[in-house]
Amino acid sequence: METVIVLNDVRKVYRVGNEKVVALDSVNLNILKGEICCFVGTSGSGKSTLLHLMAGLEKPTRGSIIIKNMEIHKLSERKLAKFRQDYVGFVFQSYNLMPTLTAVENVCLPLIFKGIPKIIRNRRAKKMLKAVGLETHIKHKPTQMSGGQQQRVGIARAFVGNPEIVFADEPTGNLDTKTSKEVMDLITSIAKKNNQTLVVVTHDIEIARYADRIFYIKDGRIERIEVVEKSN
Amino acid sequence: MNSIDITAMAFKNLWRRKVRTVLTILGVVVGTASIVMMLSIGIGMNESFKQQVSMMGSLNLITVNPYYYPEIDDGGKVGYVEPQRNTLDDKALEKIAQIDGVEAVTPLLYYYLKFVSGKYVAYGQVVGIYADTMEAFDFKLSQGRHLTSEDTNALVFGSSMVYNFYDPSSRGRYWYYGMQEEAAIDVMNDKIVMTFDMSYGEKRPGGGGQPRDIRKRPIEVKVVGLLEQGQSEKDYSAYINIDYLKKLIKANTQTNKMPGRISYGTSNNTESYEQAWVKVTKLEDVERVQKAINQMGYGAYSLTDILRQMLDATKTIRMVLGAIGAVAFFIAAIGIMNTMIMSIYERTKEIGIMKVLGCMLKDIRKLFLLESALIGLLGSILGIGFSYGVSYLMNRADISFLDYGWYYSYGEKAQISVIPLWLTLAAIGFGSVVGILSGAYPAARAMRISALEAIRNE
Repeated sequence: METVIVLNDVRKVYRVGNEKVVALDSVNLNILKGEICCFVGTSGSGKSTLLHLMAGLEKPTRGSIIIKNMEIHKLSERKLAKFRQDYVGFVFQSYNLMPTLTAVENVCLPLIFKGIPKIIRNRRAKKMLKAVGLETHIKHKPTQMSGGQQQRVGIARAFVGNPEIVFADEPTGNLDTKTSKEVMDLITSIAKKNNQTLVVVTHDIEIARYADRIFYIKDGRIERIEVVEKSN
Repeated sequence: MNSIDITAMAFKNLWRRKVRTVLTILGVVVGTASIVMMLSIGIGMNESFKQQVSMMGSLNLITVNPYYYPEIDDGGKVGYVEPQRNTLDDKALEKIAQIDGVEAVTPLLYYYLKFVSGKYVAYGQVVGIYADTMEAFDFKLSQGRHLTSEDTNALVFGSSMVYNFYDPSSRGRYWYYGMQEEAAIDVMNDKIVMTFDMSYGEKRPGGGGQPRDIRKRPIEVKVVGLLEQGQSEKDYSAYINIDYLKKLIKANTQTNKMPGRISYGTSNNTESYEQAWVKVTKLEDVERVQKAINQMGYGAYSLTDILRQMLDATKTIRMVLGAIGAVAFFIAAIGIMNTMIMSIYERTKEIGIMKVLGCMLKDIRKLFLLESALIGLLGSILGIGFSYGVSYLMNRADISFLDYGWYYSYGEKAQISVIPLWLTLAAIGFGSVVGILSGAYPAARAMRISALEAIRNE
């Protein structure tokens, strides 16, 4: 199987005042294409930092991050934007929808950035909204939707460009248990269907059960890796 | 991102904060209007100067004379400079005519002659010119035609010359210019003779004075054209083909056995004219041609000199006016920048999300530059519209705080505020450029916003 993400001896040190805080240390890992991975840890364990590094939002202090054979820790801001545009989808904890835009306009955003013509992107966005079960809320603004619905819009937005990798940062952090389950079902089923790599960061072990592999992060290190046996 | 999407997004963002956008645009409107109004008043001033000066004669006209005051660098000491005299003859004029930009050249040969028609007489200045240059030198006709080079005893009368005819036998009346409302004779049709004999046709009082010289035969002349009334010396002269006038003078000089009172045909036989006119095709060439003529050793003067002095005198006023406008515009630019920076603060998160979703940095920059450019563009367009309105009202309201006085009764009323097309276009272009420049710093800031900071969970 093709390896999509490779981390070699990644270390990340933050400087807080005069003190150095080691957020990540000696992280090595490979993630395969189409794999669903979860990073689980308490707050401050460094799991979010890891996600940010993989998404190119932060640079490691040391080590290398190779995604799709690109050394993304060496890419310029401009190339990182292009990289995200071409390969990466994002799902956030607080949805991060544009408050002034409707659901379909929000879903369209990544396609607008790619320069896809309006007719095509609208069609794709509507199709995507339908896939997340929101065909009735196409024209709704985020404030007119529940948290679960907003997160569905967020998921639609992450997947609309058909990216190879989708990063989800605590996607269920603001949702109740039932909705969380629905959202996770949705997100994993889409990723599986399209053979997309999904990287989820969560503190909730129940959510982590959706993954193929679970990485337990503690104090900036990978404590252990668990391969989840699927019952079916 | 394609440009349609960026434009749509920029408009949407501006529309989202209507009040602030409108207020910022209003600032630009005021800025544009003040700079345009101030400049337009300056331009109106210049225009009215030009109008006034051109009423005195054509601005394209250079008057040449044989005297030339060489420029001597005497270290600022003011002293009398001996003029140099050069021969200004047909040959010299031909050389002048060769100068690039010169349209026409004519010498002016002045002679004071007497006209007689029936019992009416008139004294007047007859000017010999190259007959075929009348059109070029702006001799505007009210009746008849211009002189042609075939003409001999044909004359073109200035408008006031007509009123010079009076009846010398009607005593007790002083004659002065403009006294008569109606011409005593019909110059175009009545028989007129012209003579060098100043006593011709009049009864000499008391039989004294000079004996009549019978050899000074009167010359029959025909008035072929009448000039429009202007405000120049043309009104008070009669024009004639110079070749014919020379012939007459020569004949008269021979009969008199004495040199004429003008330098033409003086004893040393140099045919130097006292004055000549040079018409320059383009106004902007006048100074250059004038200089060239100076370098040939002749004096050259034009109304452009006067105009330039007038313009120089008001330059400071115009600069102050422009500076006032510029200050207002500068404040508007600060307003744009302030609005954009505020907008970036508010949209930090939004910009961060855009970045994470793969929006290119150059698109973010374009978006912010476009927003500020739109404020500048809309503001300057509205400002120009506003200026046109104010300008129209000012011109209509007949505000006379800038009444320059003389020659106002003639011709078109001078406008107080003039907005030429170039100013309109420049203001709109300037507004947009200032908008973009004011947006440059905020846009750079927007680009620097860290995606990570922006999306961090609260």
